[in-house]
Amino acid sequence: MMTPLQFEQTYADDWTELEALLEAMAARRPWRGADAPPLASARIAALYRGACEHLALARARSYPAHIVDRLERMTTSAHQIIYHHRELGLARIGRMAAAEFPAAVRAHGRYVALAAATFLLPTIVLAVLVYRHPELILSLVDSATVSSFESMYSRSADSIGRVREATTDWMMFGYYIRHNIGVAFQCFAGGLFAGCGSVFFLAYNGAFAGALGGYLTQRGLASTFFSFIVTHSAFEVTAIVLAGAAGLRVGESLLRPGRMTRRQALVEATRDSAILLYGVAGMLLVAAAVEAFWSSAGWLPPVVKYGSAAACWTAVIAYFGLQGRRAD
Amino acid sequence: MIGSPTRSSSTPEGPPGATDVLDTVVAAETPEGILLELRPAGVTPRLYAFLLDWMVRLVLMYAAWMVAAVLGGIGIAFGLIVLFALEWLYPVVFELTPSGATPGKRTFGLKVVMDNGLPVTAAASVARNVLRVADFLPFVYGFAVVSVLLRRDCKRLGDVAAGTIVVYDRRAVSPPVAEGVEPRVPSMRLSPGAQAAVVALAARAPRLSGERVDELAALAAPVSGDAGNSGPDVTRRVLGVAQWLVGRR
Repeated sequence: MMTPLQFEQTYADDWTELEALLEAMAARRPWRGADAPPLASARIAALYRGACEHLALARARSYPAHIVDRLERMTTSAHQIIYHHRELGLARIGRMAAAEFPAAVRAHGRYVALAAATFLLPTIVLAVLVYRHPELILSLVDSATVSSFESMYSRSADSIGRVREATTDWMMFGYYIRHNIGVAFQCFAGGLFAGCGSVFFLAYNGAFAGALGGYLTQRGLASTFFSFIVTHSAFEVTAIVLAGAAGLRVGESLLRPGRMTRRQALVEATRDSAILLYGVAGMLLVAAAVEAFWSSAGWLPPVVKYGSAAACWTAVIAYFGLQGRRAD
Repeated sequence: MIGSPTRSSSTPEGPPGATDVLDTVVAAETPEGILLELRPAGVTPRLYAFLLDWMVRLVLMYAAWMVAAVLGGIGIAFGLIVLFALEWLYPVVFELTPSGATPGKRTFGLKVVMDNGLPVTAAASVARNVLRVADFLPFVYGFAVVSVLLRRDCKRLGDVAAGTIVVYDRRAVSPPVAEGVEPRVPSMRLSPGAQAAVVALAARAPRLSGERVDELAALAAPVSGDAGNSGPDVTRRVLGVAQWLVGRR
């Protein structure tokens, strides 16, 4: 039988060559196109198959650890380079916005409907309840918060929806991005607890919005409040519902895995939700910009805002209903 | 087979026996039919990596607020956006680099890969990092710690759902040193496993104290016909057998 030393000597040249090629690959910078060395892909593939064979032999013959280890490292990095799957690029992002995201939303229609109901039912119930009994708002938030909300949406405010004059549009833009994406990600991640977390966060946020709306309407501030929220909610509420829908999908994969194991179903549901998460993050960026720079502008008459809101809602619904149908 | 924990050197079926090695190695099969060994990282190195990343982020955040303080309103927006980016994008961006690891993970020799040993995909990286929200519950990564401690492949919830695994990056194993050791014919037939054990002892010898090598060599003494004896001479003969097994004559 071949001794480890003979084995090593016989194939050392191949191994050294493969290691050098892999190192060159790892050092390549694709964006430096011109002075990148030409790819030796065929050679790498041939050497990689050889190394796989040698590894199998070395393991079967219980060769010393340093040989097996060297072959393992070699094959691992070659495997990573050969089978690497790049899925994000400018072209992909364009394709996602144009077709994949709306198509994924349509494909998840059931979950979207369920998530929308989970969000909207508490909204409506709480809005009616708090409108009838305004004191109920105090069981949700404390009195200081209530009075700050009242001043945020009072008719005299320059900018609607914020506490102090000193805060600028830009500052609120940064705040909305962080806060809203945090809420959306909570709605998604809660799905991991058999969907209960998603249901809770959707219902909680819906209830809060409803209570606030009901209270402010009762106080006679309806026009400032609704003219503030209608436009950006086209993007914001939709995005949060979509994040919740992805969470419900994840939750269902655990409760009803079908013909797969729970773990397979979970991995597949999570992989399918990624496209929804990208879209949700994009929509929340738009929502934050609209909320900070358009919705809060106190000098715009409500009529203009209702007009823009109608346009935005139509656009969002048309986007999810029609966009990318041909690619389906 | 992919991603399922295996015991090395054991038959696929059958109860675990004395020859089973207690190990956390996870095997991933490649299309070429070989098994890549992934070594999952446990709570402690991941905690260190997390704390280091946290400090890196804290420093970056401090720098961002210094800039923000100068710029006023727009500066605060900038600061908040940086805060957002550090919270959500920092791990994703670093995991998608060729190293597959945040600076903290890289420092402690860890990286994130898919269950099949491939580099982590964008979708998986986003998913595992967004699901931190769930791992963080009920407080300071409580579920993550419980999950990592209970699972053989040391995954937190986000890793389970995204199909990723945090593994040790491989470091080279040193070959057995040959200087000053006469190759020596073993005095008995050795199974491949026993041969590998003797050679592995020779490879580890330089990193152990002399006394410890003597102790370990005494266990392997039968291979050089010194059963029951110990001491530096026995050790030298056992290491000589290792040299012979490697192929020196």
